[in-house]
Amino acid sequence: MSTLHIPATERTPELLFDFAANTFSLKGESYPENIAEFFGEPVGKLKEHLGAQAGQRIAFHFALPYFNSSSAKTIMGLFSLLDQAAEDGNDVLITWTCEEGDDMQEMGEEFAEDLDAAKFELKFLE
Amino acid sequence: MLASEMFDLRDTLGQQGITFCYSGYMTEGILLGIGNAIKTQMQLGDADAKVTKGVFAVFVEQVQNVIRYSAEKIGNEDSSELRYGILTVGSKDDVPFVACGNMIETKDAERLRDSLTHIKGLDRDGLKALWKETLRGETPEGSKGAGVGFIDIARNARHGIDFDFRKVDDAYVFFTLKALL
Repeated sequence: MSTLHIPATERTPELLFDFAANTFSLKGESYPENIAEFFGEPVGKLKEHLGAQAGQRIAFHFALPYFNSSSAKTIMGLFSLLDQAAEDGNDVLITWTCEEGDDMQEMGEEFAEDLDAAKFELKFLE
Repeated sequence: MLASEMFDLRDTLGQQGITFCYSGYMTEGILLGIGNAIKTQMQLGDADAKVTKGVFAVFVEQVQNVIRYSAEKIGNEDSSELRYGILTVGSKDDVPFVACGNMIETKDAERLRDSLTHIKGLDRDGLKALWKETLRGETPEGSKGAGVGFIDIARNARHGIDFDFRKVDDAYVFFTLKALL
């Protein structure tokens, strides 16, 4: 599978899924008009891709200064997919970039509470 | 006369601390435009960054609720439709607020009241738990989003939420939700 790149808009994040390198990122504010239209296809491809990985190093980077409640559901789903990939024997690292003390820090930590196998790292913006 | 009428309306809004008011059909374009204006206005007014983000977050959930669920609408879901609501954003006694109102069908009022009464009674940890539970679960029947919008609003409303219902006729009730940040 090749690289999937969707540039950011005012209300959707930059999406960069490099399937060959197993590095994935979402950067920017997320409050799409239609959540399924934006995330449906990329998340479907990711799910398919992760299901076929074994013994790989996989990295997913989130840098979301704001997301709405329907995006939260998608993000929780991504955490769950990544955790499953880790349970299947991959080395999975999720990094979460935000401002220290921001509500987004709390959100990241809350999503991370449910992880059993994937590693989670908080990074603060300078 | 014309200027007096408009000035009086502006004055009425001002007395309630309202800085933004929109009444009409709501669209995603309006959400984007007013949202940017709210952010800019709060930043220029030196509002705390956390409060600004909270106001913006509540505003997005409130407007998306109207766009998706207001019972007062024209057009139809298959082609294009517009749904009507009223939104106010402002600050009273240094407490910012976002209030929104729209028509709902009478049959939905009780479910909505129960759900909001439950949410209003929860503390921070209770809201967090319900938020996660709702995100994990299946989307409730009749919901086009995650069904988690009201919980999200309550989590952002550090000074609480208020809601009210007013009967319009046998079929419709006017519903209002106000978040204090």
